[in-house]
Amino acid sequence: MVDGRGQVRPHWRGLLGAFSSLGYAAVAERGRRLDRAFEEEGVATVLADSASRTRRPWRCDPVPMILSAAEFASLESGLAQRARLMAAMLEDLYGPQRLLSEGALPATLVFGNPHFLRPCRAPATVPFPRLAFYGADLLRGPDGAWRVLADRTGGANGVGFAAENRNLLARVLPEAFRAVQVRSLRPFFDGWIDALQALAPPGVDNPRLALLTPGAKQETWLEHLFLSRQLGLELVETGDLTVRDGEVFLKTLRGLKRVDVILRRIKGELSDPLEFDAGTGVPGLMRVLRDGAVRLVNAPGSMLAEMPGAAPYLPACARLLLDEDLALAGLETLWMGDPAARDVVQAAPEAWRLRSAFEQGQEPPLGALEAFSERGTAAPWMFAATRPMPPSAAPQLAGEALEPAPVVLRMFLMRDAAGQWHAMPGGMAHVLEGSGAIAGPPARRGSAKDVWVMAEDTQDIVGPAAPRAAVLTIQRASGDLPSRVADDLYWLGRYVERLDGAARLMRALLSRLLRGAAMPREVAEIRTLARCLHAAGLIDAEAAASPADGAALPRALRAAAGPGGALLGLLEAVERPQVAVRDRLTHDMWAAFAHLIHEGRARLLAGVGGLDALAPAATAIIRFCTALSGIAAENMVRGGAWMFFDLGRRIERATATARNLAHALDQPPLRLEAGLRLALELCDSALTYRARYLAAVQAAPVLDLVLADPGNPRALGFQLAAVKERLAEIAGAEDLLAATAASLAARPQALVDAVLVATDRDVATAALPADLHALEAETAALSDAVARRYVSHVRTHSLGEDESGAPE
Amino acid sequence: MTRYTLWHRTAYRYGRSVDLASHLLHLSPRKLPGQVVRAAEIEVLPEGGHRKDGQDHFGNGVTWLFIGTTHDAFEVTLKATVEVDFAPPPPAGDTLPWEQVRDAARSPEGWDAAEFTLPSHHAPAERAAGLYAAESFPPGRPIMAGVRELCARIRRDFAFKAGVTSISTPVSRVLELRAGVCQDFAHLMIAGLRALGLPARYCSGYVRTRPPPGQARRQGADQSHAWVGCWLGPRHGWVDLDPTNDLVVSDEHLLLGWGRDFSDVSPVTGILLGGGRQKLTVGVDLIAE
Repeated sequence: MVDGRGQVRPHWRGLLGAFSSLGYAAVAERGRRLDRAFEEEGVATVLADSASRTRRPWRCDPVPMILSAAEFASLESGLAQRARLMAAMLEDLYGPQRLLSEGALPATLVFGNPHFLRPCRAPATVPFPRLAFYGADLLRGPDGAWRVLADRTGGANGVGFAAENRNLLARVLPEAFRAVQVRSLRPFFDGWIDALQALAPPGVDNPRLALLTPGAKQETWLEHLFLSRQLGLELVETGDLTVRDGEVFLKTLRGLKRVDVILRRIKGELSDPLEFDAGTGVPGLMRVLRDGAVRLVNAPGSMLAEMPGAAPYLPACARLLLDEDLALAGLETLWMGDPAARDVVQAAPEAWRLRSAFEQGQEPPLGALEAFSERGTAAPWMFAATRPMPPSAAPQLAGEALEPAPVVLRMFLMRDAAGQWHAMPGGMAHVLEGSGAIAGPPARRGSAKDVWVMAEDTQDIVGPAAPRAAVLTIQRASGDLPSRVADDLYWLGRYVERLDGAARLMRALLSRLLRGAAMPREVAEIRTLARCLHAAGLIDAEAAASPADGAALPRALRAAAGPGGALLGLLEAVERPQVAVRDRLTHDMWAAFAHLIHEGRARLLAGVGGLDALAPAATAIIRFCTALSGIAAENMVRGGAWMFFDLGRRIERATATARNLAHALDQPPLRLEAGLRLALELCDSALTYRARYLAAVQAAPVLDLVLADPGNPRALGFQLAAVKERLAEIAGAEDLLAATAASLAARPQALVDAVLVATDRDVATAALPADLHALEAETAALSDAVARRYVSHVRTHSLGEDESGAPE
Repeated sequence: MTRYTLWHRTAYRYGRSVDLASHLLHLSPRKLPGQVVRAAEIEVLPEGGHRKDGQDHFGNGVTWLFIGTTHDAFEVTLKATVEVDFAPPPPAGDTLPWEQVRDAARSPEGWDAAEFTLPSHHAPAERAAGLYAAESFPPGRPIMAGVRELCARIRRDFAFKAGVTSISTPVSRVLELRAGVCQDFAHLMIAGLRALGLPARYCSGYVRTRPPPGQARRQGADQSHAWVGCWLGPRHGWVDLDPTNDLVVSDEHLLLGWGRDFSDVSPVTGILLGGGRQKLTVGVDLIAE
């Protein structure tokens, strides 16, 4: 920020001016707003729930890191050269291996490298680019010069987060963007989409692009989600893809759809279990890649080029492959497989830091020290030594003031159709925790920073983008929904509904228990509700059968809400598919879900202490579920995603309604009226009934309202009619499942008709529980059939290894 | 020169239908100066799948198979006619002291042998294997004398016994058992040589079914066989030795291909959707004409 004479560097003046006129208290407030914006995006929750639970919420410093136009231009050209070198190295090492035969690179660095994937060297029928996306971590040394801290040819994560940082920062701090001429990121992403489309096999007009992610359980998931949104790519997992007849397909509800270009964000060795023995992936993917019918960015095996051990040999590689000298230096690094280099390091060990020769990172790997004593399994050639360097500082917001903090910068480059490399005019900076010299990308990083590149006058003018693809035809259906996503949405719908139903039963029972000194009628209701709760799996049989005024029932209710309890378990069951289908939910739905889970859990845990706190918790959950239904109804396009979500809800509600009504109506004749009242309450229909029939409670009108009335969204018939419609939309009215659903949907009206024509309506009503249980079982069977047809989680396994759990 | 007719069938029966299968076969006899492939074909049942032929990183012939039709059985048969006549090894006295071979493998001139000095999945850096091999390599001993003796010692010290080991048995366990099959002896010898810094590779193929007249039947006939390629330095290159039978490979073996260990050249592998329990039968005939 400040030059050698204590003067503010010119490209910082605009931003500092904007901050001053805003006031630093206001800037700090914007910083808090930025935190909240990330929280709403679910960044905090997801990171906290990922595999390493120690991760902290994502923080982005409101103070960006600023690069002048000249600084960026020189970095871009230096990194573009490095990207060309890495690409040429990969072509060579997975091809003729001149670098090895001519002695530019020691063979052990390649053959001993776990990221040298031998199947990637099998000759291709149609050559393919191995590197089309590249990232680099950089630091600015005390001398002011930028140096490469790490090349990133394997993953280069962070480009999605960089875009998200920019979006949110622009939202909370628009004044700063008005004060500074910042280059937009959009042209980079547009160019990248063009480049990806241009990779499609010849003759494909409107190529299908997909981003291949390891899935929602991985901590990179949000990065992939943000990136897929930025580029407009389908987000797929390996289980969504299949190879047939030499092509790669996406498994969708409407059959197989060919995929032409894959932005690969999974490890190369996890991409094809036929050729890499990792056990997961898309069998046959590598063969399709070699035959030219699909393109992967980057191709598997690309991570080889980023090995730290190659650093001392890069200048020789550049001369051999490019006939150029490297413009951008890295940190001084030696490979320990070279005896002379080993002597240098052993002569002054305090000046060097040992690292893996194959993996990025600065931590000395396990076994590094014994590698030099000829003991253990580690060998010196597995290590590199780097001379650490302190990174220079950039201003960050601390309280209500700026203070300098050491930063590492990550930049991203993509290769266009003509083979030119372009750097994103921006990137991601990381504030380092702790100060001091570093030798590689540190494992612990503090907050992120957006990176701003100053525009030059000439760069402001962005010409119209070239037409990218054939004009799109209008599409209304969303049949391309991957089968796995349909499955997740279906279960999301079911779990939300199950949670809602459980909370309603709970509240009905709690209100009676809290009233105390129960009348005989209320005792009967309590017993019925307890049976319903037991049937729904919320309390055990013993508690359900215990006296209505005893202590066992309240205890069972508190346990259900507590840790390990069934109700809290349902809340967690909602969370799993909800995270997995995050890319299918609108922002508001996502926020509503996040709120439901967060608040619901907090309230339930607070309610464990006593019944009077549990009742409001149940009410809160019911309200959240209702709000969610409203958002789904008003915001989800009536496509595949909504259909499966709604199908899940309706099937769940139909099953639960049939079951609850069966219990409510299963009363001795004297108590039938109480049972009917309870039926109205459980179907949230008491108000409607009173409006229609005033106080008189009779079997036929009650049954019509809770079973058959097509206008009552809580009636059993309404659910089954919706199931029928959804299945007809998904599979066609002629379909066997849709036909089964249609026959089920006619049943509630038939049950009511049977009561209406009966000579003794009360006797006919008493026969209903058996019919309702039968209907419940048939609906459950339909649900199983739906799951069998649309579930895609069929696991593959190796030849010579029996299918696990297979019958004899 | 000996002319062989080879027949090798691998047959799987599945307890449940397989809906989709992809296979990778290392089943093509490798063309070499000492091995002329007159004919070789791979027959597959069920027919009609998607098939591709190519090479792997080591230059071995590879076949990819993709079967999209539902099937209850899978059968691969290799039929080949091959003439074998590998050059005799150099006299031990003509070969370099083993330390010089080790150093050559670390230098740029030995770059393509370097790969076979490094530990691999089935031949990991195993101290005990190194100690066992080191007895045959006193300082200054010519490499050929060392590998010849190591090969003989393995034949003498280890019993050929089917069923006591499997492909997942580590070299350290084989050393304890003092027993195993051709694969185990090959991996043991490879691990021992690599522990000394010497390049060694795994050779996959067959040994003749009936021995030459007047000789004992070879161990490992009637099935896939394995032996070891040893590097003698830049001048003499690679020589193959069979520790199971204590033989220098000349005209009794037929080579499919080589790799770092078994996992690089497993003859038939695959990924299945379905299949249940699998039943495998293998038959091999290598008949001299």
